Amino acid sequence: MPESKTDSVRLTIDGIPVTVPKGTLVIEAARRVGVMIPHFCYHPKLKPDANCRMCLVEVEKMPKLQTSCSTVATEGMAVRTATTVVNDAHKSVLEFILANHPLDCPVCDQGGRCDLQDFSHQYTATASRFVETKRIFQKEYFSPLIETQMNRCVQCLRCVRYCDEVMDVKALAPAGRGTMTEIKTFGTHELDCEFCGGCVQICPVGAITSRLSMYEYRPWMLKRADTVCQFCGDGCQITVQTKDNELIEVNSEYGAGRNSGDLCARGFFGFRATGHPDRLTKPLIRRNGALVETTWEEALEYTAQQIARIKNAHGAQAFGGLISGRCTNEELYLFQKFMRLAIGTNNLDSSARYGHMNGVQAMRRVQGTHRWTLSFEEIVQADVLLLVGTNVTETNPITGLKVKEAVKKRQARLFTIESIRPAIGTISNITNLVDQHVCALPTQFGGAVLALLKAVVESRLVDQRLQHESPDYVGAVTQALERLSWPELEAATGAARDTFVQMATGLAQGRRVVVLAGQELLRSAGGYGSCLLLLDLLLLTGKLTEPGCGFAPLAEENNDQGAVESGAVAELLPGGLDLANPEARARIARAWKADLPLAAGATLVEMIDRARSGLVKGMLIVGENPVGSLPTVVGAKEALQRLEFLVCQELFLTETASLAHVVLPAASSLEKAGTFTNQEGHVQAVRPAVDPIGESRPDWEILSALSVLLGTPLEYGDAKELLKEIRGVIPGYGLLGPAPIPPKVDRAAVERYLAGDYRRALAARYTLAGPADAAGGTTHLGLFQSLFHSGKLSTRSKGLLQIEAQAALRINPADAARLALADGDRVRLSNRRGEVTTTVKVLERVPEGSAWFPDHFGQDTAKLFECAIDPDTNVPAFRTASVSIAKIS
Amino acid sequence: MSAIEHMPTYEPVLLKNMSQPGYTGSLPDYEKTGGYRALRNILGKVAPADVTQLVIKSGLRGRGGAGFPTGVKWGFLPKDYQGPRYLCCNADESEPGTFKDRQLIERDPHQILEGIVLACYAIGAESAYIYIRGEFVLGAKILEQAIGDARAAGYIGKNILGTGVHADVWVHRGAGAYICGEETALLESLEGKRGLPRVKPPFPATHGLYNKPTVVNNVETLANLPHIINRGPEWFAAIGSPPKSTGTRIFCVSGHVKRPGNYEVPMGITFRELIYEHAGGMRGDKAIKAFIPGGASAPFLTPDHLDVKMDFESVAAAGSMLGSGGVTVMEEGTSMVWAALRLMEFFYHESCGKCSPCREGSSWLVQTMRRIVAKRGRAQDLETLSDLCKNIAGRTVCAFGDAEVSPIMSTLKHWRHEYLALIHEAEAAHLLRPEPAAKRH
Amino acid sequence: MTKLKAWFKTIIFYEILVGMKATLSHLLHYKPITLQYPHEKRALPDNYRGMLALLRYDDGTEKCVGCDLCEAACPSRVIRVVSAEVPGEPTKRYSKEYYMDMTRCLFCGMCVDACPVDALGMTREFEWAVYDKRQLHLNKEQLLAIGDRSFPVREKRLELQHPNVAFFNVSFGHVPQKPN
Repeated sequence: MPESKTDSVRLTIDGIPVTVPKGTLVIEAARRVGVMIPHFCYHPKLKPDANCRMCLVEVEKMPKLQTSCSTVATEGMAVRTATTVVNDAHKSVLEFILANHPLDCPVCDQGGRCDLQDFSHQYTATASRFVETKRIFQKEYFSPLIETQMNRCVQCLRCVRYCDEVMDVKALAPAGRGTMTEIKTFGTHELDCEFCGGCVQICPVGAITSRLSMYEYRPWMLKRADTVCQFCGDGCQITVQTKDNELIEVNSEYGAGRNSGDLCARGFFGFRATGHPDRLTKPLIRRNGALVETTWEEALEYTAQQIARIKNAHGAQAFGGLISGRCTNEELYLFQKFMRLAIGTNNLDSSARYGHMNGVQAMRRVQGTHRWTLSFEEIVQADVLLLVGTNVTETNPITGLKVKEAVKKRQARLFTIESIRPAIGTISNITNLVDQHVCALPTQFGGAVLALLKAVVESRLVDQRLQHESPDYVGAVTQALERLSWPELEAATGAARDTFVQMATGLAQGRRVVVLAGQELLRSAGGYGSCLLLLDLLLLTGKLTEPGCGFAPLAEENNDQGAVESGAVAELLPGGLDLANPEARARIARAWKADLPLAAGATLVEMIDRARSGLVKGMLIVGENPVGSLPTVVGAKEALQRLEFLVCQELFLTETASLAHVVLPAASSLEKAGTFTNQEGHVQAVRPAVDPIGESRPDWEILSALSVLLGTPLEYGDAKELLKEIRGVIPGYGLLGPAPIPPKVDRAAVERYLAGDYRRALAARYTLAGPADAAGGTTHLGLFQSLFHSGKLSTRSKGLLQIEAQAALRINPADAARLALADGDRVRLSNRRGEVTTTVKVLERVPEGSAWFPDHFGQDTAKLFECAIDPDTNVPAFRTASVSIAKIS
Repeated sequence: MSAIEHMPTYEPVLLKNMSQPGYTGSLPDYEKTGGYRALRNILGKVAPADVTQLVIKSGLRGRGGAGFPTGVKWGFLPKDYQGPRYLCCNADESEPGTFKDRQLIERDPHQILEGIVLACYAIGAESAYIYIRGEFVLGAKILEQAIGDARAAGYIGKNILGTGVHADVWVHRGAGAYICGEETALLESLEGKRGLPRVKPPFPATHGLYNKPTVVNNVETLANLPHIINRGPEWFAAIGSPPKSTGTRIFCVSGHVKRPGNYEVPMGITFRELIYEHAGGMRGDKAIKAFIPGGASAPFLTPDHLDVKMDFESVAAAGSMLGSGGVTVMEEGTSMVWAALRLMEFFYHESCGKCSPCREGSSWLVQTMRRIVAKRGRAQDLETLSDLCKNIAGRTVCAFGDAEVSPIMSTLKHWRHEYLALIHEAEAAHLLRPEPAAKRH
Repeated sequence: MTKLKAWFKTIIFYEILVGMKATLSHLLHYKPITLQYPHEKRALPDNYRGMLALLRYDDGTEKCVGCDLCEAACPSRVIRVVSAEVPGEPTKRYSKEYYMDMTRCLFCGMCVDACPVDALGMTREFEWAVYDKRQLHLNKEQLLAIGDRSFPVREKRLELQHPNVAFFNVSFGHVPQKPN
């Protein structure tokens, strides 16, 4: 807090002295001393517009009343908010606003928490002097999820400004003049936007409401629970409102959590997925080849019996476990402890293996941390941002908002290496805000980073100190880069050398450089190498160890980071400790008072391979769906069918769970307590909003019960006890606070890397990847994440399905014209591995020659992809394929 | 033309060229009358800051309505700002009763263009936009033509007359909103946004068009510049009623007079002189009942104010303002309530809807006024009206709020009895007809 | 003497006579004040608070807009409203289901007070003795039926644009068109 004389001012509000930073608005200064000035149009996230005129105050030495939302506090200012003049002004403005208001509070969803209602109670007489005809807007259809009732509107334009200033979507606009001003969409079509729900949340009255829970509640009936969103790695705090144990709505308060009130469509409209009628409510057991309902006792006893049988007959290594990165930290921790102690194997893995491990392992190798050295605040404050393969506005929308804020409000320079064309569409596109953009295929992201490195080296932008201290490293890298030629690089990335030189110059000049790596990079073949290249880039430009700079891989699943930190991956122990490190093993063994299994564990695809070959006989799968997620070529289904015993803990009967011998119904994150770790390493509390549906139980309770039956009791009273144990194992873990304190780059690790560790597989990662897939196609097919879906859970959410109900192949207009395709046409995708039919949607942001398919619906497309396993991190990369597209008439 | 013939006493300045027989307003015509001489004499020869000083010395004040000293306004631009500055010529003349800019644009466009280039030079702007009212189709065409001619002749564009000064001019047509005559709304509209006034501060002088330092001047103001340069600020400052209100001014006389039209007279003559001598007196020689001294936004004045001098200060002292110079005269027998309602209807239609008091207040006022005029008023209506007016004035983002209440405020002040008469009639009718009207509209 | 007096009072049951005085005096009046209830009924006061009912407008539409305010006002949680959007009329609210558990009702009338559209009324019905308590759990149709029989004169449904009337419950028959 700036408190020196130059950047703070003193003023008095109603005689109360207050010191605020320079540039603070009077309304904010008043709030600091507890004086609430009524307002509609002001919102701290938005630029002041001063259109409601509600916040008028008297300022000494100013002739007229001033709007406190647009007046900046100055030294010695004396503001009065409670004089008769001010009170009369508030009253009169409110009288005007209420003149045309329909006063339909009894049927308004906002009634009970409406600013207009509150201020009316505070200021106006019960009868109005307005005896004229009220203005009426005819009801017009607005959108499937967002409803407007323009008669209630106070024309504060918060929604319009939010949509433009914060979201950068610009879907809403005022239309008409004077009293006939109403909020509409641009053009005459229905609302077609990101559906972030921001307009619903920011509306001070009931003019914009959510149709999803329309008329189902009154605000005073709602019970709230502050918890964390279950979709992406951003870790947004959401407030889940429930009525009689039913989910009613989700919102997020300004200033709360890491998102500070902003949500995306998944967070705002996706909450009803867990209440889907398909939810498993009772344990299922396979009898005569079919899954039938049973009791918990029978299911658990049978499971324990089978596990014990396999363990006794084939040894602990014949058992494997998988867990989803959507479970809480407590469950992930207990799962790995269960696997390691109760069963005695390191054959365990989590969904972090799908890509997040690439980023984590690269960070561990170069900078010695297993999480970001940044927080969201540093993204906002960055002056140069490099985004590689993120598609951030769709995959991690709230991180996207931080990037937008940095660019739009703080004029940061933005460089992107994405497979997106800058095009204005209904969903915001980060490449519209760039300084320099390289539109490369996901397979060539590594090539683009190489070009960037080459530009750094050739433009003599290498950090002087590094050159001095580690000439070997710089020399080796330079030498490796010399083998690459510019024509080659330009051909691979499709961008000119000049672009890379400009980006390199920008990166080197930046004082706070942040590099974000998204799923498209992390989940592509060679993702690990590319992450190392990005870290090399930061090292070479001397930014890695600078404050405010760093590398930030984005997580797709909400607790991928927690899975890594809880040790729910084969090669890591809790706290990111290396399993192979005897010292670390000893530390964990001491904490657990038990010995750890020695043999290195099998990872995701290895386990599936071992299941196929019969080495693994039994598996425990918690919330993970390898059959649905992995491409057909891996053969997960056949492998799991060969298992002697498969037990699944699931919310729904997924492709994997339907192969199981026992399916145990688990509670969703809205029904249990615990913690989630978001991608920046911030541990946040998950609180139950509703009771578990049916007989479902939290995963940790199930694991705990199984451990008791297996004779290795891992018993806990509640999730908090588990967290306490985790804190014992990982000191200082999960301190629930307002903002995370990111770890510092471990200098010892950097030195080790520079001293020679960099040499490992140097040549391999400094080689341009060849053409990705030779499966005989001309179009590059990529799996992409849609803004409206995340994982497989969201496809059960009524709200999200109303926005995007089925998978459609996104193609570029030019390609569509070439193939004579229009929206909704059916096409056949084929390559050597198989063929699939789907519908087409033309989207301008798709690069020419590419096609995108959302990876949430299409199990069919799984057969088109091949799977490349990263030799270092065992990450399966299967998100790109080459196909041919043909129209089906 | 006839109007101009009847102006024997004063020498016209702005209307001088166009009053010459056969003057077409084309470039050769303008050059023949000494046009673009000021440009040749100033550009590259006098420092821009000195031009500003010249204008300050002349005492020229804005002719758009507010009457802010032009040179002082130019002086507000940040001196050391690196980057573009803009000049906007406000030709969005939509004030009811005002039609001077239209004549200047249509009859003598080069006079304005010369003024624009001079102003650009003084403030260091290389681009100027003429924001012309959408309805002025002819005016826009003539301006486009004139700009084309001037550009071809080297008076506009890059490197004007080889002096190294750049000043390009574009015409932008509005889309029919009165509020876009307000300078910040004009800038918003020019930027391609919805024409709503901006919150001030920051003022356009520092954060104007595209967030760059910008000056917005009225057509008449800019048209004065060549004359000030040619004949010297002292000449200009001597005309009118120095020291505050200098120069001539075009007054647009309309209403119940014999000869409505534009009259260029020095500031400081009386309304009586303007109405009875220049405009030929009242139609049918009826008595005068009321007049609006400066466009629809200015409060009404009564015959008692006929001897008020027509300069900024005297009119302000009389409780009104000189505004845009549109003098609307009403004869005896005019219903002042109806006249106020007519203006209110205009303001209701033109309220942009940005801030609550003006948006809701205008619809409320107009509905109440309609009721009173339709003899459905109630005794408490007058109090409500004056209360609403008080609540609107001074509480809005722009000056529109003050403008829209002025007809009602001033008529309520001077002709309250007319309102009362209508209301009494309504109440009497109500007493005679016990069944209340079932529906009100 | 006093002893004798007391003894005398005892043997003639004096206290009982005193106690029965009122009764005995009424023996002589043959105008009974007990109402022979099922056959005779008392005149109820005008402000009698009897059975609750849901009302309709003159055009037969339900008055209730499903605002849940009665539910909020009820001190003994008698009322449960499930509101929804009127099918076919976007953003118009009504009570899809409406339940009153009359076994708990205090007849305090707070719900009637709370109703913004006067959709609830207290009838003068009181003969609601039933053999099964569950019959006192009334749904919307039953409550409307009570209203129909107890309030035969219905309120006129207001037209839209009646001055100064909240227009969430008015007839949308004459909606003025928005000027273009």
